[in-house]
Amino acid sequence: MSQNDFLHLMPLLILTFAALLIMLVIAAWRNHKLIYVITAVSFVAAFLSLFELRGVVSYAIEPLLVIDGFALFYIGLILATALLISMLSYAYFEQQKEQKEEYYILLTLATLGACVLVVSTHFASLFLGLEVLSVSLYALVSYLRVRERSDEAGIKYLILAAFSSAFLLFGMALVYFSTGTMTFAGIATAMATLPELPLLLLTGFGMMIIGIGFKLSVVPFHMWTPDVYEGAPAPVTAFVATVSKGGVLGLLIRFFMEVEGFRYPTLMLIFTIVAIASMFAGNLLALMQQNVKRILAYSSISHLGYLLVAFLAGNRIGMEAVTFYLVAYFITTVGAFGTVALLSGEARDAEQLEDYRGLLWRRPWTATVFTAMLLSLAGIPLTAGFVGKFYVLAAGVNTQQWLLVVMLVLNSVIGLYYYIKIIAVMYQQPDTEREPQQRQRPSVYVASVGTLAVLAILLVLVGVYPTALVQLIQDMLYNMPAVVAR
Amino acid sequence: MELTFYIAAAVAILSTVMVITRYNMIHALLYLVVSFLAVAVVFFTLGAPFMAALEVIIYAGAIVVLIIFVIMMLNMTQEDVQREKEWLQPATWVGPAILSAVLLAELVYIVVAADTPAAGAVVAVDAKFVGLALFGPYILGVQLSGILLTAGIVGAYHLGRQKKKVIHRFLQERSAAA
Repeated sequence: MSQNDFLHLMPLLILTFAALLIMLVIAAWRNHKLIYVITAVSFVAAFLSLFELRGVVSYAIEPLLVIDGFALFYIGLILATALLISMLSYAYFEQQKEQKEEYYILLTLATLGACVLVVSTHFASLFLGLEVLSVSLYALVSYLRVRERSDEAGIKYLILAAFSSAFLLFGMALVYFSTGTMTFAGIATAMATLPELPLLLLTGFGMMIIGIGFKLSVVPFHMWTPDVYEGAPAPVTAFVATVSKGGVLGLLIRFFMEVEGFRYPTLMLIFTIVAIASMFAGNLLALMQQNVKRILAYSSISHLGYLLVAFLAGNRIGMEAVTFYLVAYFITTVGAFGTVALLSGEARDAEQLEDYRGLLWRRPWTATVFTAMLLSLAGIPLTAGFVGKFYVLAAGVNTQQWLLVVMLVLNSVIGLYYYIKIIAVMYQQPDTEREPQQRQRPSVYVASVGTLAVLAILLVLVGVYPTALVQLIQDMLYNMPAVVAR
Repeated sequence: MELTFYIAAAVAILSTVMVITRYNMIHALLYLVVSFLAVAVVFFTLGAPFMAALEVIIYAGAIVVLIIFVIMMLNMTQEDVQREKEWLQPATWVGPAILSAVLLAELVYIVVAADTPAAGAVVAVDAKFVGLALFGPYILGVQLSGILLTAGIVGAYHLGRQKKKVIHRFLQERSAAA
């Protein structure tokens, strides 16, 4: 590796060193605050190092990785989200009796795995990145083991993730068998001459879609989502819903752009069915839930369905829409789970609808932020979610995918119901004056409250003035050769 | 050489099926060792003698022995074998097995129907070549594997440290009802 390679990998190297540093510091002196500060600083440092790389057109570290504008944008998105989640984690874990310091090592490593996913151009780096992400998440999901549901969630995630990895590997083997290469570019070259997919290659792609679909939790690979979301600590749930899915989606876009998967009708048909099924299953199942975390889990399934609508457009507007929607979805989801984390106590998370009754009267600001997040998830104007959904619709209409567009509109209406249900509960007058919750020292809460405030401001800012973000995304896609060609 | 491959592959599949269907854990693990050895032979016939040696040393040697030690410490009795037997009723596995068999048949058809490129002469990949590849172009992959192991160890440390016994809620309900 040359010095230039190190320079271009700086964000990933900073994360690696942060994980090692935290481990050494824990060995010397266990202190939650210190570890938390180290984690936050290293996320900020890694994020700032991206500006050093601004303007890199495409820098390949053969054969495994490539750094380009697309990768930089997605790494930036992942790092910013991870930073916000770590800020929310501090107050949440401060009240736990569990040893908290290892959480930050695992969080850093999981973020690193997601970053590797979006820069990989080779099956080997793809799989290693995915496994670093998954293995860290196994432990993170069941981190608070004294809780009732954590073991169940951890085991479910472990078994299903390992199973889906096996599918992914089998798929990779079949693709390698029929193309003779594991680099994305090599597969693209091998496929360029084929008018339609040979059966063996199609089987390989099908198995890879199972592995990827599990990580994205799209129907029919969504069974684990509500249980894992419910059992995991709220900040970890936010991480699973955002960073882990964003990394895999970035990888999917890169792979499909590279091999021009959009010109094969069979693959498109698979994704169309998956998208429609995800939208309907997510929204309809969410209607019956009484548990806020489960509602948000089903809502995330349907949001992935919306994202696939834009993904299926397969052109530049489609990719812009996916990326924009992803940013809006990240802001909103972290905000929503952040509120859940803020309200949670030591024994359990604030996950029952009952916990939110009359929240507006008890904690008006928190309730306002949560309302804004839910409205954004529903896609109400003036929020980021609305602009995102509008962008997705535009991409769908642009490529005349009327079926998908109609389904999206229909589902947005269904979705409105359960978001409004939570909001209605928050605005109800509480029947009895409840004992005010035991508050912690205000200094502990500063980070959480500040993060939620930042998220709320971002939400409105992106919703009212999306031009800046759109410009940024367009610049970033200009730097991706595969996209410019279309 | 081709015949060796097919025999070894058949042994690998048969022994893996035996691993799943045994009621006694130790018997299952012994079949697992056989399965690993058979896979090692498959690697060898495909021209990867170094991988074959690693398979024997690491999987059959280190990992399975470790698992066997753990199981011996758990002190399994005849009762556990009986319980295993009760859990593995034909009613549980016939349905999934039939569906999987259909999928397997499809997969076999796809592989057979595909016009596979003629296999070239087997080229032996020795330790030196593997080393050069791992510490040449794939050095980042090796480092990522290191990170993967770090994540695994930190996670295992945290989860294994706990003393409190947590029971699954379904089991809890059942034991409360009994």
